[in-house]
Amino acid sequence: MLSQESVPDLVETQVMRLLSGVSTHGDQHLAEVERDLVQMDVLLNEAIKKLCASFMAIHHAIDLQQETLKSMLSAGKPAPEQAARLETLREEIGQHVGAAVTGLQFQDMTSQLIGRMVQHLAGLRDVFGELGTNGTADLPESGSEEMLVMLNRISDRVGARCSELAGAVRSTVNQRHMESGDIELF
Amino acid sequence: MKTILAVDDSGSLRQMLSFSLKAAGYGVIEAIDGEDGLNKAKQQTVDLVLTDQNMPGMDGLSLIKALRAMKNYQSVPILMLTTESGDDIKAMGRAAGANGWLVKPFDPTRLTEVVKKLIG
Repeated sequence: MLSQESVPDLVETQVMRLLSGVSTHGDQHLAEVERDLVQMDVLLNEAIKKLCASFMAIHHAIDLQQETLKSMLSAGKPAPEQAARLETLREEIGQHVGAAVTGLQFQDMTSQLIGRMVQHLAGLRDVFGELGTNGTADLPESGSEEMLVMLNRISDRVGARCSELAGAVRSTVNQRHMESGDIELF
Repeated sequence: MKTILAVDDSGSLRQMLSFSLKAAGYGVIEAIDGEDGLNKAKQQTVDLVLTDQNMPGMDGLSLIKALRAMKNYQSVPILMLTTESGDDIKAMGRAAGANGWLVKPFDPTRLTEVVKKLIG
């Protein structure tokens, strides 16, 4: 059974352990998420480079193939249906190329979103850092009043970090699909 | 050949812009951010500028203001091509001197139609 005098001291110790634990574990988890997001950004960046290079190469090859076919058909006087078929194929390829160009712009948006997430994570880590700043080093030796002053100080610093975070990271990507966006001429 | 300055910090976006505009018969100069865009615009007066808004360092709005302050860019069409579509930022773009606002992702056919309408 605990004595009456020892309860406030135990509460203080437990509060500090709790703050320190939340700070340490929160920071560890956020650091992992941050690392994964940065790695995802690197992978997406590399993927888009390869996709763009392949897309350009395929487009170039198709262009050459179409030119060759056209000259072969013009030399051999193609039937009207052959010429029409070739023209239809050219139009179809053009439409697919246009759709691919629109789709290949995804990395610009995902990169901005990942950058914003990383900024938020860094902000959260700062908040956790503030919780753990005191640790047990500044633990008041005794008295609930000192403890209240210290908790207020921590609370103020956490509040300040949260305000900084809210103002610093503006949302710039609201797209929910990869259809082409609006155009407005002034 | 008409020349277009394409300013965007995303390499893949610049590649897609360049591909689409060159296929439509335009010459393209690429710049990786606002400052690079401004330097390239000083080296050669282009026929149209297409710029992103959110870039490290100088952003699109600052670039437009800097270009409009230059004598040879007072009547050159400038288009914003950005992920942002809010009315406030569009109004800021218009006030800075942009001639139009295109929201990403762009469709190459629609993009070249707009460019053709502005510079032929």
